[in-house]
Amino acid sequence: MATPEAIDLSRDRDMRGRGKGLWVRRALLTLVALVPLLALFNVFGQRPTTAKATVPAATLSVYAPTKLRGGLLWEARFHITAHQDLKNALLRLGTGWAEGMSMNTIEPSPTGEASHDGQLDFTLGHIPKNHSFILFMQFQVNPTNVGHRSRSTTLFDGGREVAAVHQKVTVFP
Amino acid sequence: MDLAIRSVVLYAFVLVLTRVVGRRELSALQPFDLILLIVLGDSIQQGLTQDDYSVTGAAIVVGTIAVLQVATSYMSFRVPSLRPVLDGQPIVVVEDGKPIEKNLHRERLSFEDLMEEARLQQIASLDEVQWAVLETSGAISFIKKSDS
Repeated sequence: MATPEAIDLSRDRDMRGRGKGLWVRRALLTLVALVPLLALFNVFGQRPTTAKATVPAATLSVYAPTKLRGGLLWEARFHITAHQDLKNALLRLGTGWAEGMSMNTIEPSPTGEASHDGQLDFTLGHIPKNHSFILFMQFQVNPTNVGHRSRSTTLFDGGREVAAVHQKVTVFP
Repeated sequence: MDLAIRSVVLYAFVLVLTRVVGRRELSALQPFDLILLIVLGDSIQQGLTQDDYSVTGAAIVVGTIAVLQVATSYMSFRVPSLRPVLDGQPIVVVEDGKPIEKNLHRERLSFEDLMEEARLQQIASLDEVQWAVLETSGAISFIKKSDS
């Protein structure tokens, strides 16, 4: 019986010239499988990491993800341990914290909030020696907020800079 | 603008995905083949529009995908050399009643899958079949022998 029309036996039965296609398909499938594999290794976020600055006066620790994806809810935890009395602690967050983010909650509420050249100042008040202050902030990523930006966190006591943590944040689409 | 870009990226991703996962997943031969088809639409939709519930957003997404769809089919129609890439090519899986194991293996099709498809077309035995062709859509066409 004749071969069906438009069927080329050499190509469609014996697969001549189609070996390369199979390998291209396998290579692309490997790339597709690579995406979830990379995700397991936190390449696309949002596993939090800790960045810490320790100075004689205090330890400032920032626990937050540095890789995020559009629309995700995430938390930042600022942990200040006073090694000396901090009379009037103030946390200054760089604009990278707020740019393209919805700020849902700040707990406990700071005693004061202000802007310092576009940066956010949160007055925390007195932190006695050998005590800790933990500030929780809940965010949501604006879906159009894609790219890299720097994120700084600086602890002040009165007008004096005590410790600072600088991070880079990446937002994936 | 980002909605249009998302649409283009996800369209390309789904196009590549449907080409690389193989035809059996597209034809949903077995219950587990359905999984991809079920989760695909839902997952894509969330990544595509995210929190945008507007009519404008929906119009942008649907419009972009419609244009891409027409462009892809036009390219496939006008440029024959692109057809194997965009559509794939048929594969002969049975000739003169005998399954071609190498080709079935290539598409991860078992003899049981083949017979199931044959039964759906009222074919009880491959002896009745002259040709069976796995089409680019994932369906299997059976051409019976002239005397059967």
